[in-house]
Amino acid sequence: MEPTDIKKAIECIIFVSDQPVSVDKLQQVFMELEKGDIRKYLKELIQDWGALGRGIILEEVAGGYQFRTDPAYSEYITNFNKRVKKFRLSRAALEVLAIIAYKQPVTRVEVESIRGVDSSGVINALLERRILEIKGRKEVIGKPFLYGTTGEFLEVFGLKNLSDLPTLKEIDEISKNLDTGISSIPEELS
Amino acid sequence: MNENPHEADAFSSHEPCLVKTQLFEGPLDLLLHLIKKNEVDIYDIPIAVITEQYIEYLEMMKELDLQVVGEYLVIAAELSLIKSRMLLPKPVVEEDELDPRAELVRRLIEYQRYRDAANELIGREILGRDVFKREFDMSVYVTEEEVELVPVDLWSLIETFRDFYRKRSNLWAEQIVFEVESLTIEDKIAEVLEKLKMKAVIKFEEFLEECASKFDLVVTFLALLELARMENILVVQEAHGSPILISYAGEPNIGTY
Repeated sequence: MEPTDIKKAIECIIFVSDQPVSVDKLQQVFMELEKGDIRKYLKELIQDWGALGRGIILEEVAGGYQFRTDPAYSEYITNFNKRVKKFRLSRAALEVLAIIAYKQPVTRVEVESIRGVDSSGVINALLERRILEIKGRKEVIGKPFLYGTTGEFLEVFGLKNLSDLPTLKEIDEISKNLDTGISSIPEELS
Repeated sequence: MNENPHEADAFSSHEPCLVKTQLFEGPLDLLLHLIKKNEVDIYDIPIAVITEQYIEYLEMMKELDLQVVGEYLVIAAELSLIKSRMLLPKPVVEEDELDPRAELVRRLIEYQRYRDAANELIGREILGRDVFKREFDMSVYVTEEEVELVPVDLWSLIETFRDFYRKRSNLWAEQIVFEVESLTIEDKIAEVLEKLKMKAVIKFEEFLEECASKFDLVVTFLALLELARMENILVVQEAHGSPILISYAGEPNIGTY
């Protein structure tokens, strides 16, 4: 198989997938190839699509590769397709999600001790939405559930993996800039 | 301490109409707001002023919504305690005694830290808001024979059980049955395995449907969980949301039970 054919075949697979396609999954198809080779083709594909300057972007996300639309045109997509799944997250849900994303695996009580409010309703909603999942139980009295984020979380927030999360701010940076607080969350999402 | 029911519905398209939840996410949120509003140093909070304003807000909230005030009262009490500690003359012996505000400040900063992180998350290019992926029905491409089964996560299992339990509870609520409950999980395990030997794959709901009482239902569920834990059964489904299937995986290992 010619390299250009392999590249095109990889492109096709990503095109017909509803989930990010991982290098492992691709290797199951192209068994004669090393993972490094597949990564090289993927890198080239990303560059090719970028160089084309189209409305579609090939992106590395949630441990795989996915075709996504250019964020510049989101408005037209929502206008065209009213049925499109709108993303909504309350401020409470977002707070809970941030705490769990960075501290996982973490118990509900640990989340609540940081927020100062009961968070069970929000956690359950995020579980049902499959943005969070139960990772196990903590070996303490009562064996509470430990929560963590899912692949869907990475997909929604466009993260390659968990280490792709933006680093938490340093403590002194926070105390100096308290006013960067809550106001910056867009109206529609709060 | 229960949360506002509106809050639980984090993804609903209807925004909660209560003024209170729109304003503050909790006592720490309110405190940070007051510190910001008064433009004071977080490491040197004028406790008397802040406490007074905090309690004023609580009074206001009380008139709007009584329910959530409980969580706010905990911090109000803490503030009052700090205030009184600061009024007390310091014992001479302990020179470098901790600032009574230190613990509260630590909590506020930690909370703010995750709030900043939340802001950063929501500022990203969000799937379904800023970027979109292709959405299509994959089942079109999958034929009966090549269905790939995925393991069921515990949450789906519990969810299915919960829904079923609710449905049945209503049904059973009208009939009162007196019986001596003698069914054990071990009995149920044997029964389940017997059934699976007759028929290779049985729907999870099918097991639940055969139950005659709430007790039976719970025992059946526990038996299935136990069997799954011991890896005697496989709990799979074709895709998320499709029926959960149970199949036989191996001999029970009663020794570890």
